[in-house]
Amino acid sequence: MLSIKDLHSHYGLSHVIQGISLEVAAGEILGVFGRNGVGKTTLLKNIAGWVKPSSGSIELNGQAIGGIEPDAINRAGLAIVPEDRRIFPGLTVQENLELGLLGLKGAKPASKLNPVLERFPRLAERAKQSATTLSGGEQQMLSLARIMVAEPRVVLIDEPSEGLAPMIVAEIFAIVREMRDAGCAVVLVEQNIHEALAVCDRFVLIERGAVVFAGAAEDDAARAALLEKLAV
Amino acid sequence: MRDRLDISMRANHVFFAVLMGIGLICVALAVAMNDTFYLRLGTEALILGGLALSVDILLGFGGLLSLGQALYFGIGAYVSALVLREVPSFWLAMAAATGVTLLAGIIGGLIANRVRGVYFALITFGMAQVVAKVVYNTRELGASDGLIGVPVLEIPLGVITVSAGDPLAFFLLTLSVLTILYAAVAYLFTTPFGRVVIALKANEKRVPFLGYNTWGPRMVCYVVAALVAGITGALYPMLRGFVSPELMFFASSGNAVIMVVLGGVGTLIGALYGAVLLTFLKSVVGSYTEHHLIAIGVIFIFAILFMPKGIIGVAKPSLERRLIRFDEQTDAARIKATGERA
Repeated sequence: MLSIKDLHSHYGLSHVIQGISLEVAAGEILGVFGRNGVGKTTLLKNIAGWVKPSSGSIELNGQAIGGIEPDAINRAGLAIVPEDRRIFPGLTVQENLELGLLGLKGAKPASKLNPVLERFPRLAERAKQSATTLSGGEQQMLSLARIMVAEPRVVLIDEPSEGLAPMIVAEIFAIVREMRDAGCAVVLVEQNIHEALAVCDRFVLIERGAVVFAGAAEDDAARAALLEKLAV
Repeated sequence: MRDRLDISMRANHVFFAVLMGIGLICVALAVAMNDTFYLRLGTEALILGGLALSVDILLGFGGLLSLGQALYFGIGAYVSALVLREVPSFWLAMAAATGVTLLAGIIGGLIANRVRGVYFALITFGMAQVVAKVVYNTRELGASDGLIGVPVLEIPLGVITVSAGDPLAFFLLTLSVLTILYAAVAYLFTTPFGRVVIALKANEKRVPFLGYNTWGPRMVCYVVAALVAGITGALYPMLRGFVSPELMFFASSGNAVIMVVLGGVGTLIGALYGAVLLTFLKSVVGSYTEHHLIAIGVIFIFAILFMPKGIIGVAKPSLERRLIRFDEQTDAARIKATGERA
């Protein structure tokens, strides 16, 4: 589904991503772990088109998407939920959700919102409210719901649990699992390692812009090695 | 729960109705007192309100500060004056001004839409200054004297014909044009396109990740703003009988920004309130002292410090609460009536 080969990326003279290669299949969650500043968010930004890669290839279902514009990448079926949620404060909850539909080619009918609103009853209750009146957890749900209405094939999620209460975090990860079960390929960047390992199928550890360790989440030895490397 | 944006737009419409009501009462008084000066001043305020409205489309909804919006106002005014001097036809002048402003808006948009923030402000400022200087130095356009001799128009409006020389009739015509422009722009921002523009202002970097090409909506926003300025600019020579390069100078663009700030950024109707207030203040204060700009400057500083949301921004929350209460009472009464019938 998503294939990255020998990806390099720079911020000015700083070589942030140093030859990362990875694959994520449909119906799979790949956890991307590492300490702060190792290049996890930059990796997502490269995939989503926010930052242009210096070299290497990024393919979505065999289609090269490396270096093309973010809106074209989104229309190709890849969505990102950024770290800071980025809801649109001037719009209501429903209008935020509708924006998820309108940007698509051959805009999908508004009825596509209904299943999402059923899945997120708290958002349905607040559909007519300004998005700024939502709590942090609700804003994160809105951010996830907004990409779900467009039914993307690949989803990149950056630190979804940051600053949220444990109960909300559990709900957020349940939603991520549902995306995977619906056949979506998910790349999950997360600092909350224990919670993330519970939902991931596979993981990679990044250090200094390169993958230094990879394993299956069900492999106890691999999990132990990862936790040891991260000292958590 | 009510739609907050719907309530906000309805509050704007109420303020618009209030302004129109006050305007019509003042008109009635002016007619009763056989006054023409304040009628023509009111007409000028409405025309400048169109320029301010165009600034608010860019600043209040697109998040783009234009320091050269008078360029399109001036283009509309000059095209209208040139046409009227050859063929005294209101509709031809309006059509020509709209067409040329559309073209100018597209060209200006292609240039200015490449940058954001302070650079956008500087480019719009620069474009207006360049064109103003070209006009100022072009003999065929009247150079520094401008174009004079625009005839007094007879304007056919279906079953009736009004004269641009009749202060009351021309005031009402200008009011009608402004009402149509306000309604069209207000409608535009309730459509999906309007939501994308609002989203762009809130977070331009996020919008492409929802599949939107951001260039198109910004461009449309810019061209619509140019059209509003150009159409109202076309009315200017019909009122004054002349146009001058000063219409495109920074003072005109700067005044329009002040009008929007005074009235309330991002409210549409605030631009019209600001325009009426500033135009009358300039006239009244100007009749006492030639240093009236000092008074305008002080008022502007006062507004920035103590009323950053402008007149409408201060009054609107209270009106919105009243509208919500009114809706709730109406809903409760309807539910009660339905229950009793059942």
